[in-house]
Amino acid sequence: MGDQKSDVLQGTLDLMVLKTLESMGPLHGYGIARRIEQVSSNTLSMNQGTIYPALLRLEQRGWIKGEWGTSESNRRARFYSLSRVGRKKIQDETENWKRIAGTMARFLAESN
Amino acid sequence: MDLIRTLFSRINGLFARPGRDAELDEELRAHIELATEENLRKGMSAEAARTQALRSFGGVTQTRERYREQRGLPRIEEMLSDVRIALRQLRRSPGYALTAIFTLALGIGAVTAMFSVINTVLLKPFAFRDQNRLVVMREVEIRDPGGRVETPDNYRHILRIKNTTKTLEDTAIFQGRALSVSPDGDRPDFVGGLSVSPNFFHLLGVQPMLGRDFLDSEARTGADHVLILSYEGWQRFFQGDPNVIGKPLRISSEPFTVIGVLAPGVRFPQIALSPAISFEERARETLMYLPLAPGALDLSSDTGNFNYKSIARLKPGVTLAQANAELEGLQNAYTLSAHLPIHFGMALTPLAKDVTAKISGALWMLFAAVGSVLLIACVNLANLQLARAASAERETAVRAALGASRARLFSSRLTESLVLASMGGAAGAAVAIVGVRLLIALAPQNIPRLDEVHVSLPVLAFAAALSIASALIFGTLPALRSLRVPPQSAMQSNPTRVANTRDGRRTRNLLVAGQVACTLVLLVVTGLVLRSFSRLLRQDLGFDSSHVTVAQVDLFSPQYSDANSTRSVEAVKLAFADRVLTALRQLPGVQSATITSAAPLTGETWVDSLQRPDHPVPPADQLPINVRWIDQEYLRTMQIPLLAGRNFTADDRANPMVALISERTARDGFAGENPIGKELGNLVPDAPTGARVIGVVADTRINGLRDQAAMVYIPYWAFTPWTLSFLVRSSQPSKALIPEMRRVIWTTDAKVAIPSLKSIDDQASESVAAERFQAIVLACFGAVALLLASLGVYGVLAYSVSTRRQEFGIRIALGSGKSALVQLVLLQAAVPVLIGTGAGLLMTVVVLRWMRSLLYQTPVADPVAIVGSVALLLAAAAAAAIIPARGAAGVDPMRALRIE
Repeated sequence: MGDQKSDVLQGTLDLMVLKTLESMGPLHGYGIARRIEQVSSNTLSMNQGTIYPALLRLEQRGWIKGEWGTSESNRRARFYSLSRVGRKKIQDETENWKRIAGTMARFLAESN
Repeated sequence: MDLIRTLFSRINGLFARPGRDAELDEELRAHIELATEENLRKGMSAEAARTQALRSFGGVTQTRERYREQRGLPRIEEMLSDVRIALRQLRRSPGYALTAIFTLALGIGAVTAMFSVINTVLLKPFAFRDQNRLVVMREVEIRDPGGRVETPDNYRHILRIKNTTKTLEDTAIFQGRALSVSPDGDRPDFVGGLSVSPNFFHLLGVQPMLGRDFLDSEARTGADHVLILSYEGWQRFFQGDPNVIGKPLRISSEPFTVIGVLAPGVRFPQIALSPAISFEERARETLMYLPLAPGALDLSSDTGNFNYKSIARLKPGVTLAQANAELEGLQNAYTLSAHLPIHFGMALTPLAKDVTAKISGALWMLFAAVGSVLLIACVNLANLQLARAASAERETAVRAALGASRARLFSSRLTESLVLASMGGAAGAAVAIVGVRLLIALAPQNIPRLDEVHVSLPVLAFAAALSIASALIFGTLPALRSLRVPPQSAMQSNPTRVANTRDGRRTRNLLVAGQVACTLVLLVVTGLVLRSFSRLLRQDLGFDSSHVTVAQVDLFSPQYSDANSTRSVEAVKLAFADRVLTALRQLPGVQSATITSAAPLTGETWVDSLQRPDHPVPPADQLPINVRWIDQEYLRTMQIPLLAGRNFTADDRANPMVALISERTARDGFAGENPIGKELGNLVPDAPTGARVIGVVADTRINGLRDQAAMVYIPYWAFTPWTLSFLVRSSQPSKALIPEMRRVIWTTDAKVAIPSLKSIDDQASESVAAERFQAIVLACFGAVALLLASLGVYGVLAYSVSTRRQEFGIRIALGSGKSALVQLVLLQAAVPVLIGTGAGLLMTVVVLRWMRSLLYQTPVADPVAIVGSVALLLAAAAAAAIIPARGAAGVDPMRALRIE
């Protein structure tokens, strides 16, 4: 395992998924996982499978919807898209995350 | 919001499981394939592309597992899987499962059915306001010697108390009525009703659902005829017509106006006139209420007309004892100040207690019986489970060694019990529904509120609680045991040996002993009740009941009313009786026909006291007697022997003041004298002279099987009562005779009511319905208990033998005889059975103490019942033990040793 990779923090994955769907539109699980890997430039240590419980969790909350569709290569896959609630939630979650990140940044600055 | 949505989605996930699993698999497969394709495009080899795809995915199985956890409710899924495992295991041993479910269903079903009856009859409150403050008032005659005797109420006395008491809020007087009701007056229905003082419903706290309550002005002689219908009466006579108020109904051919209708469920219970006068109300249900208008004599007499019942409401905060003390004082003071010849007191009984006084003992006994059946059932199950857990010990140990938590092991054993209990509970509920129907069909009609009995919600809750409780009892005990075993010891040793440790055997033997003890108590109680019942049935009636049919007739229509001139009414009643008798005697096959004033075996009626002008005694010392108005054919029809003097003859008609007395009347009223020729005073209404005794006849159990009342018979020529019974002895079967008799009576006068028309044998059978009910139900419970106990003995022994096959094989191989082996096993069975029998006998001594009042001429220490029960129990136990014992002797030593 690469020493420079970080574990995915609890809760951050959800926001990454939401953001991905916001920018990319409807996407299947593999696409979402690949997109997250690309955006993070492979600095995250994440099994792609981890995405599925997260997708289910978001679906259970009603923030995203899953529908069967056909991929670019003509393969049956489940496509996820943002729901209306999910769109609104991105705003809240983003602010929430920024607040936490800011707090952490201050802490780290002080202790240095 | 999110939480609720997630929860719903998860619950949904719980049920849609197989389909969702397939979907997930497909989704994951698509993922891997998409990744593989991309890798291929990057130029990897097919093998490497797929490996790389799987690697970056991580563990497919772990993902699937975590996905599942997120999807459903893992705790519940675990439980469901426990349930599935339990069901699978139960299916694998159907004998055990069926025995357990059968046992539970029987126990729970019987208890629920019995509890439904008890709940309605004893526990469910009436639809009256604050029913705890309602009391039944009965006057008490204080005799010296003789003590306190409760009597019906005197109108004047109750009225005095109503006006002077400080402890009672209100008092209402009422009287049971047998009414002839019909729309046009002809061929009337016979219906039960009550005459009540106008404050009756107000006192009960009941408002008519339609119309209004009675007015004080309506409770006077000569007031307009009005009535209030019960809900059932409204349905029956007006089909629930909402415009019924103001409509007429004919009672005894006279028009009455309906002024009110009571709500459904408002039913006034049957209240006995007094405990001593066991006169059964002839109509079970009160369908209508009339205002009670007291007669002149009611308002003036202090020593006669004890014809009323009364109910009172205690003031708030007043105790029963305080009210009793006050009324007793008032009555005592009045006795003295008015110089009454009889010393009066008063007794108050809470309404609910009074209604159930006669049957509560019997019902509680049945309930105790059924409770012990359930107890025996549970013990049986506990034993079955113990044996089962013992043989599952090795499996439990393996699971524990593999890391299953104790809680998980405990819960999986508990689940099996709960599954059994809920199946047993469901089957029990079904048994209860059938059982209640059966009980209602079997039960005697005089059990109060029987028609209200049904399996109700609280009763079902009771059954559910019972089934869960028994699941816990017999589920936790073995489960706890199986956890105590250290895994290594269970795994190291031979499982069948572990199961038969001394420790386990002692527990099981203790349970068998307990079961045997309970069964013995139940058997003895059943035996006693059966003995008592058979003694009752074998009573010599003193008359021949076969081939006699009886028609009860009520003369309540206006032409028989004494409102007008007394003389002419007497003549009309007499003429009616004469004409019916003549017509009945002309029917084909009739051997004899006669008349009496009360149908046989319907309880005491026309209770008067023996007064002798030649030998006056204070009223309190006068012998209570039953008067019957008959004719000269009575003795022949009923086949009652004449012991002294002569029977009535047609010649007595001219001078009808003659009487026959029964042996007991002669013995108790004329001790040491010859009664023939003696005069009896004041028996014939409005007669200037007494009746002269002309003969003595044998004693009979004419009122009921239990007692022989002192009787006085007087010809109906002297006085014809308004309630008559025509008795016909015929070679024709009763079934053919009944329509003939009805035709004869209604041809003579279509306006009379015929409350009952049946053979005396049927009447006799009805009169012991309560006892028969008790005996049949108890016998059923006894049989079930015996069966369960035998199963218990058999189960434990069979199990023990099966685990000791190798030991028996070795014994046989070493030369032990087969009979010695049988003996060995039987001895093993004998220990718990004998200990149980001993304990049961000790328990019986305690239980029998309150059995005494429930038995008829049967001592509680009846040797036949006790010895018989013990013998039956031991025989059943021996029969149950002999099968496994023979099995032990039949062990093939070669095979048994080869298994080792």
